[in-house]
Amino acid sequence: MRHRTKTAVVCLCIIAILTPFLAAIAISEGIRRQSMASVEAGGDLYLTFDEFGRNTAIPLKYLDEVKKIYGVTKVIPRIIGRGYVQNKLAVIVGIDKENLPKSVSCVSGRMFEQAGEVVVGIDLARHFKLQPGDQFSMRCQQRKLFNVTGLFSADASIWSSSLLFMSFKDAADLFGKQGVATDFQIYSLPGHNSEIASDLYGIFQNEPYRVQDKLMVELYFKKGFMLKEGIFSALYLVAFALGIPAILVASGFGLSERKREIGIMKATGWHTLEVLELISFEQLLISLLGATIALLLSITWVKYFNGVCIAQFFVAEAGMLPAFMLPSQFLPLPFFLSFFFSLLLTMVGSIYSSWRASTEPPVASMKL
Amino acid sequence: MIKTEGLCKWYRGHSSHKVSAVQDVTLSIVKNSFVVFKGPSGSGKTTLLNIIGTLDRPSAGEVFINGNNVTRFSDIALSGLRREKIGFIFQDFYLIPNLSSWENVSYPLVPLGISARNRYETAKTLLEKMGLGDRLAHTPEELSGGQQQRVAIARALVNRPGIIIADEPTSNVDEETGEHIRSLLKELKDNGATILVATHDASFEKPADVVFKMKNGMIG
Ligand SMILES: Nc1ncnc2c1ncn2[C@@H]1O[C@H](COP(=O)(O)OP(=O)(O)OP(=O)(O)O)[C@@H](O)[C@H]1O
Ligand SMILES: [Mg+2]
Repeated sequence: MRHRTKTAVVCLCIIAILTPFLAAIAISEGIRRQSMASVEAGGDLYLTFDEFGRNTAIPLKYLDEVKKIYGVTKVIPRIIGRGYVQNKLAVIVGIDKENLPKSVSCVSGRMFEQAGEVVVGIDLARHFKLQPGDQFSMRCQQRKLFNVTGLFSADASIWSSSLLFMSFKDAADLFGKQGVATDFQIYSLPGHNSEIASDLYGIFQNEPYRVQDKLMVELYFKKGFMLKEGIFSALYLVAFALGIPAILVASGFGLSERKREIGIMKATGWHTLEVLELISFEQLLISLLGATIALLLSITWVKYFNGVCIAQFFVAEAGMLPAFMLPSQFLPLPFFLSFFFSLLLTMVGSIYSSWRASTEPPVASMKL
Repeated sequence: MIKTEGLCKWYRGHSSHKVSAVQDVTLSIVKNSFVVFKGPSGSGKTTLLNIIGTLDRPSAGEVFINGNNVTRFSDIALSGLRREKIGFIFQDFYLIPNLSSWENVSYPLVPLGISARNRYETAKTLLEKMGLGDRLAHTPEELSGGQQQRVAIARALVNRPGIIIADEPTSNVDEETGEHIRSLLKELKDNGATILVATHDASFEKPADVVFKMKNGMIG
């Protein structure tokens, strides 16, 4: 590393380009995993009513009939709604205690049991400074007081930062909708989904209902992320397009100086291949250094600074949610890709000119 | 052992008029001799020595070293020849700016896979011999012209070459150091090397076996 300034400039360019890339990949991978895990933990079929092409509440009177369908092992009615606690929107899930997702576990206090009791996601609770034993009310129904009995954490950090759980009945009271659920989660025996679907058709006949299976939900999720990733990618590409010439120019920095150096090396007995080996080795080190620093920076950015400025590309509610652990997953592949990418760029910026300088008669290269 | 036949080098300047730096030089230099090229500035001494030292290609003519026509050598063969047989002391020193004296001197040894420790020792011995034992870690810009010249001389000797080509080796040094360099070159000759020197310095005629006078690119 004889050319310190040049090395530093090239490294900085590489870092500037790669850091957002690595951070973004890690975040989107983390979110994808979390949402897939959430979908995986959910029911096999989701049943709702349909109005104007949107999901709407489904009457509870169908619950027993659905339960009786052959192949159905469990049906869980839920109410999922949103409401303001103080100044933040929280997602309220009304579900009976025994039906809570398995990944949800109390980290302090206990689960809700009686009317008016809730458990709050740990990050949400931290935001509102709620402790087990505290009471609060929702803006939509100020008269009703809720008792916090516990705080929960879940596999998905978005859950613990935005959800609160209460009994189905409390949720029905809170939203003032009796006799309906926002959806039924249907668990089924493997391979029975199409039969269940035709039985559902038999039950609902003329009602506007809608069934979505896990795969569709998964697809829907994926599509959402791909869209967000797409927006990010577009912005990133612009930055990238500016960064590539920067790297090329920077790798070409001091070209005349290097040309002279190569001439001297050739004049004192170096072989062309040895010269190119040395130059390639330097580029390898620079790329490795740049990519590694970029990786460390992106880890710091995502893990310690929670992806400020970049998270909103991937988590639509990032601005609305209280601070929460941004999900992220750093995989080796993106890192190796970045490394090879920077290697490619720095090589392109230097190998050809070095080869030219190296195959000319030394006198011609040595002249400044 | 060094022969040139009809060596010419011409440059086409911006005015598209041809400058002949070397014209039809035919000479032969026997092994283990001390040869001096003298002549006015611009007479083609540097150009001729560069071509003989395989650093430049002639426009016409041929150079033979040890009976091989090096004008026909490939890039690899030329590098090999320079590595094993030739030590070049440049008029403009041509040291690598970011390297210290000892690194510059031992740089030709890097591709040979010699350990840094051994390279350092080799360079140190040579630099001490050049009176620069206390300047090992200095970079060229921290050295005076004469000191740089001596570093360049040490580098030319690092591969123990059989042919030493010195272009104005004493142009930047005082009388005393000049004398030192002359006696060093003489000593190398006595140890079996062939020495080619281009110089304005008349004192080189004493140790010289042959003096070629150059004028307008020709040996006269
Ligand atoms: N790259 C070049 N392009 C054009 N002309 C050149 C080039 N190199 C040398 N010359 C010309 O060739 C001639 C011989 O130059 P050279 O450097 O060989 O002279 P010299 O005898 O070494 O002079 P000095 O004693 O000043 O070092 C000069 O007239 C010079 O102008
Ligand atoms: Mg000259």
